[in-house]
This record gives sequence, C-alpha cells and structure tokens, in this order.
Amino acid sequence: MPEPTIESAGPLLQLSVDRVVDDATTDTRIAVLSRTDVPTEHLMIWVGASEGEAIRRALDVSVTPRPMSHDLIKNFGDHLGITMTQVVLTDVKNNTYFATVYVQSNGVTRTIDARPSDAIALALRCHAPIYVTQDVWKRRSGQNLEAWLSKVESKNFGTQEV
Amino acid sequence: MITQMHVKGLMFDPYNNAYIVILRDENQSEMLPIWIGKPEASSISLALENIAPPRPMTHDFMKAYLDAVNAKVISVVITDLNENTYFAKIHLMYGDSEYTVDSRPSDAIALALRSEAPIFVNESVIKKQSSEELDQWLENLKPEDFGKLDS
Repeated sequence: MPEPTIESAGPLLQLSVDRVVDDATTDTRIAVLSRTDVPTEHLMIWVGASEGEAIRRALDVSVTPRPMSHDLIKNFGDHLGITMTQVVLTDVKNNTYFATVYVQSNGVTRTIDARPSDAIALALRCHAPIYVTQDVWKRRSGQNLEAWLSKVESKNFGTQEV
Repeated sequence: MITQMHVKGLMFDPYNNAYIVILRDENQSEMLPIWIGKPEASSISLALENIAPPRPMTHDFMKAYLDAVNAKVISVVITDLNENTYFAKIHLMYGDSEYTVDSRPSDAIALALRSEAPIFVNESVIKKQSSEELDQWLENLKPEDFGKLDS
C-alpha cells in the first residue's frame, strides 16, 4: 500500500500517543504525541478533562462498567460494520488543532471533521493509525515545551509538599 | 410497555456533586431523574439550548459519524435501573436493517436530542424508582435550580 498523502503535500507523518499529562492549573489535559519514526520529537495538544481521561483510559486499556462516549462510537462501528481507517491532524489555527477521521463502510471511504481529542480517543480504541501533515508538524507549538512539560510533571508529583 | 418522555431540564445536585437530567411524560404525570456526569450534562445542555459550539463536541462528532454513513437514530429507550445505574438502548436504522446498541442513558439522551429522535422509558423503570422520595426532593427545589449550566 502506498504511503497516505494529502493533496501531495508530502507523506504524512505517523504519530503515537505517549501519555496524557494533567495541567492542574486549568483543569485541562495535555495529550503528548510523538513521531513514530523519531520518538524524541513531540507534539502536544491541550484537550478537555473528560476527553483527556477518555484518551488515558484507552492508553491504560482500562474497562469501565458501562460504555463511555467513545466506547459507544466504537460500538456503533462494530455493530454497523464501519471501519475507522485513520486519523489525520490536518490544520492548526491559533493553537486549535483540526482533525479528520476516515471511516470505511461497504468499500466507501468517508471523512468526518473532529476535534483531535475525540479523534485520538476513538483511534486508540479502534487501533487506527494517527497521522499529521508535514505542514502542521512544522507549525506545531511547543517544540521547546519538553523542558516546560517535565516541570509541570514534577510539579504535579510535588503537590503534597505544599 | 414503554412511555415516551421529554427532557424537562437539568439540575445540579450539590449533595452528590453531580447533575440530574429530568425526564417527564406528556401528561406530566410521571417524572424520572437520571444522575449523570458533568461532561454529559454540558452536552445535553448545549443541545437543549440549540447552541452550536465552534468545534464539534463529542456527541456532535458521534452524530456526524452516524450521518457520514447514513445511519439514523430511530429512538432511544431507557431500559433498566439497577442499583442506581440506568441502562439504555439506542435503536439505529442502517441500510435496510435495524440495530440496537447498549448505552448509558446520558449518551443516549445527548444523541437523541441532536438526532430529533424520541426518548422512551420502560414502565418498569418508572415504577421501580421511588416517586415519593423524588416528589419531596423536587418540591424543595426552586425554579432557579432548573437554570442553565455554567459549562
């Protein structure tokens, strides 16, 4: 199979989800993704608390007694025979990332506009690959956030001292 | 037997730090409270007030996912109440077949409101729930408790 591309803007870069970090000051979460081919290079996306927890549950493969929202979407796919083929982070404007979810049913591929948080939470459950365009990768914020992030994480660990 | 119910409103339950979605039947004779989480309450609130957020929220995405393949929500049914956990089923039409998917009532209601699909409740669920206790609880509430969520 050829590498997936979007409007010949160069091959897409595949990402994997490393972890979800708490941003305790704003009650949001940070999804930390890294390039599959260069795992030391990261992309960070701020997501809502509930969406961040949905991503975290998928990473931990933890099962809830009742299906949560993204489990339900996966169950729709399983029941109706819809396959999620990929997620692509297509754009970033004012630090807001845009994602497109690709689904396939009866041999036809369709695309759905989504927030990256929903797209990632669903992709992890459906074992679908996550890609980013080269353009978005170049324009990503937080290329120097590694140091900042490690500070946030150590601060979270140290909250009991306060 | 099932009864069609409508979403009457949302309330905050300060004792349990949770939200309650109130369902009511057409004759206003039966009422069913369902305790739900904050994100689901925000989602139901947006649908009730017809607010379209700048980016699709999770249940908007859920609806778009079904729309993309021409699957239609026919109805949702609150089917069972077990130790204060409610169970629901979402009925879908896809191709020429009907499908039934297990769901939490909060997801089912959030999706039904966006799909303009009717919400039904099994009568056994309405009977099971202690209405006297609820009536008293509701009588103590003020109209402003039915107000908007600060989402």
